[in-house]
Amino acid sequence: QTTTIKISHQFPGGTMEQGDFRDRLTRMFAAEVEKRTKGSLKFEIYPGSSLMKTNAQFSAMRKGALDMSLVPLSYAGGEVPETNIGLMPGLVTSYEQGAKWKDAEVGKELSRILNEKGVVIVSWIWQAGGMASRGKPIVEPTDAKGLKVRGGSREMDMILKEAGSAVVTLPSNEIYAGMQTGAMDAALTSSTSLISFRLEEVSKALTTGRGKSYWFMLEPLMMSKAAFDRLSKDQQAAVMAVGAEMEAFALKAAKADDVQVANVYQKAGAQVVDLNDATVKRWQDIARTTAWKDFAGKNENCSKLLKLAEKTL
Amino acid sequence: MSPLTIGMLYAVATLVIMFSGMPIAFALGAVATVFMYFFMPASSLDTVTQNVYEEMASITLLSIPLFILKGAAIGKSPAGRDLYAAIHVWLHKVPGGLAIANVFACALFAAMAGSSPATCSAIGSAGIPEMRKRGYSPGFAAGVIAAGGTLGILLPPSITMILYAVAAEQSLGRLFLAGIGPGVLLVALFAGYAVYRAHKEYRMAYAAYQSSGTASAYLEKEHFTLPQKVEMLPRVLPFVVLLIGVMIALYGGYATPSETAGLGALLALALMAAVYRIWKPKDVAPILSSTIKESTMLLFIIGMSLLYSYVMSYLHISQSAAQWVVGLHLSKWVLLAVILLMVVVLGFFLPPVSIILMTAPIILPPLRDAGFDLIWFGIVMTIVMEMGLIHPPVGLNIFVIKNIAPDIPLRDVIWGVMPFVGLMLVAVVLLCVFPEISTGLPNMVMGVK
Amino acid sequence: MEGFRGQERELLQAAQARGEDPVSAHGFELETAKPAAPPSNPAVGAAGAALDLLNRLLMRLSMLAMIATSLVLTYSVVTRYLFRSATDWQDEVAVFMLVGATFICAAWVQGARGHIGIEALSSILPPSVNRVRLFLVDLFSLLFCAFFSWKSWTLFHEALNEGQTTSSTLGSPLWIPYSLMAFGMTLLTLQILLQIAAQLTQRKTAP
Ligand code: NA
Ligand code: NA
Repeated sequence: QTTTIKISHQFPGGTMEQGDFRDRLTRMFAAEVEKRTKGSLKFEIYPGSSLMKTNAQFSAMRKGALDMSLVPLSYAGGEVPETNIGLMPGLVTSYEQGAKWKDAEVGKELSRILNEKGVVIVSWIWQAGGMASRGKPIVEPTDAKGLKVRGGSREMDMILKEAGSAVVTLPSNEIYAGMQTGAMDAALTSSTSLISFRLEEVSKALTTGRGKSYWFMLEPLMMSKAAFDRLSKDQQAAVMAVGAEMEAFALKAAKADDVQVANVYQKAGAQVVDLNDATVKRWQDIARTTAWKDFAGKNENCSKLLKLAEKTL
Repeated sequence: MSPLTIGMLYAVATLVIMFSGMPIAFALGAVATVFMYFFMPASSLDTVTQNVYEEMASITLLSIPLFILKGAAIGKSPAGRDLYAAIHVWLHKVPGGLAIANVFACALFAAMAGSSPATCSAIGSAGIPEMRKRGYSPGFAAGVIAAGGTLGILLPPSITMILYAVAAEQSLGRLFLAGIGPGVLLVALFAGYAVYRAHKEYRMAYAAYQSSGTASAYLEKEHFTLPQKVEMLPRVLPFVVLLIGVMIALYGGYATPSETAGLGALLALALMAAVYRIWKPKDVAPILSSTIKESTMLLFIIGMSLLYSYVMSYLHISQSAAQWVVGLHLSKWVLLAVILLMVVVLGFFLPPVSIILMTAPIILPPLRDAGFDLIWFGIVMTIVMEMGLIHPPVGLNIFVIKNIAPDIPLRDVIWGVMPFVGLMLVAVVLLCVFPEISTGLPNMVMGVK
Repeated sequence: MEGFRGQERELLQAAQARGEDPVSAHGFELETAKPAAPPSNPAVGAAGAALDLLNRLLMRLSMLAMIATSLVLTYSVVTRYLFRSATDWQDEVAVFMLVGATFICAAWVQGARGHIGIEALSSILPPSVNRVRLFLVDLFSLLFCAFFSWKSWTLFHEALNEGQTTSSTLGSPLWIPYSLMAFGMTLLTLQILLQIAAQLTQRKTAP
């Protein structure tokens, strides 16, 4: 008897070999689990939000209406405030530090909380991001002063506001147009999105996420606990094992995107700048008094999570 | 059950319930919920309301009520009549000038309003009686207005384009710009045909006069003095201010598309208050209540169709349909023709809003894979849907005409619009050969994508 | 073709949008969706009148929300350019107000039979069959809207209990829009119920 698992995500669809690495990851995961469970688990992948709205995925997983999803964890921030830790400025500053989370106390605690909410983390995926701008590169917080910037999340908006930016909210399909017309001066987002939005055509500078960054996002492959509990012990083991194996691929691919985005912008004639420990620290200092404080104040879980996460710094 | 069988069931259920006369919004929601109950995990029913809310709570979609408000603010005032009168005074010497004036007035109004019937009724209520008074054949007069009105969804802003931009994940600003070139093309085609047709009717009227001595109103000469002409100019001013104001806000980098919707609505209300003294609550209330009525109806359809397409996707119906289309291995252009034909057939019965919502999940993936520019396709699809607005059996704009001029026989109206359907077809072919007509302007203003 | 009543209704709206009465300046009368005769059952009549009053009040509120939304979005453009200050709450306020307006006016729109449908059959079917069809259409609409109201209230309850907020910078409580949705859908359900009740009681007294 075979069980069909539906995986939904918001990224462009491709094949196992080509396309957005997050789509590729779900396809590789599906193929490998299918193989190991001798076909008792089959998968249907719905790329590009073709099954449901991006923001509805987490809630649908909790209720058992969706089996799996690969989605930025912090998108669920309104529903489960603890998930905001998945995109906390300056809390993770390198891939190496992010990778520590899974087995550290913070990872265990986050998994426990999500389990309680009905969601299982199958694969821990981190992604760095950077800032494209129409003018000079935005390296120091002072560079962002007076500019119209799209932070893309509540916490990023908070540090940008503190740095003196006019924060703009704009749906992602309008970013290109906004940069073109000047409705916004800069956009902060993941390396992969910086490539897929083709902002290099309308940008003069890029601050990359290569090496160090204050922008790291947890974007795990997750499974509905209801769906997970329906699986046999062997199937569960296969899902978790393959999920863990995918993390190496994700790390390599995410780093490759950080390099590629730099190349793309360089080729387009944009000035490409990297962050260093000192600049990341200055953003982190701002975050500590704004976004971190705000997060810790949400509830006890949040405050505990933040403390545990700081231990990995 | 295979996706194919379920898909057939779904289609039949939809057809039956739609033609039962159930409101489109409830029909879509009810079909979806029933299929959810029978074919999907029980927990899916718990996600229904949140999904609908998430769909509606998009700032892009919510610019729809504001664009309707802007159209209603202008439509309520005598602005449509004034605009048309002013253009007429300047164009009356051109053969067929009156018809051209109507086409131009429709185009300008279309650039303010987001929907086609609104454009049609705003200009037609003054334009059709005027054309008939001047001896134009009723069918021709009706055709000009019905066709000119369709520009409402091609020239920005456009409600259907907003939905398309969301479904195809394309930039609304870019899509709006892409509609302008084809809009101008259609205006030129319509005006060219109007000149030709007016000439023909004039010659017939002249021949009738020579053989029987009955002078048609066609043969009367009108005369306007220069001061008269100049005096008419300020009447176009509110339109020009509004049009330019909104364009600068959007493309000058001052506002996002949704902010532009709010700005435009406010500007329209302010202009109507300043120029036509429409500012007392009792004057403004009808504008707002009609806006609420129309936008509530539309947003309900939009929200419920999300459920409808969610079920279609979950049961793999849309994917199977798309795979089936891809599996036919049609050449690029045959694929396009087949898809457009489907849009035409749906246009027989459904309004453009429903067509986009129901077909987008199925037709967009194969088109994207075939290498079509989705901005360009959005424009082509819009023109094809415009045809649906004026072709029988169910053409929204034909009903508008029937209500403006109930004494024109339906037969005449239908024959009157047919040449315009042909012209739209010509425009579609031209767009396929010269895609730059549409993509040129957005590429120039916003950079090559 | 005369059966496409929804579209004619839309025309009426367009005429109203132009500020014209259905009997317009151009000397023709728009075929309006004829309002049903007043219910013959006094209880149904009273309930209908009460709901109507409430609907009108909510409609006024929605009118204000519409104007306020335009003001808010314009304000956001102006402040960004004049003062270069952040504009992060405007979108959320606009969304709440417009979604709220949409739901709380749904009953009023249904009262005027303003949710359009394809009524091509009404001119083909004999009147007796047509009455049954209309009854069934209303019944199914009622069932769907009742289901939707129920699920909206559970959603509202969930959001309130868990303290769910939007994921935007503002992070406003989600129970606000959810309560408007649930309230509006409940009114809509009531409205359809009253329309059915009026139909049923009507037939008994006037065969
Ligand atoms: Na328009
Ligand atoms: Na049609």
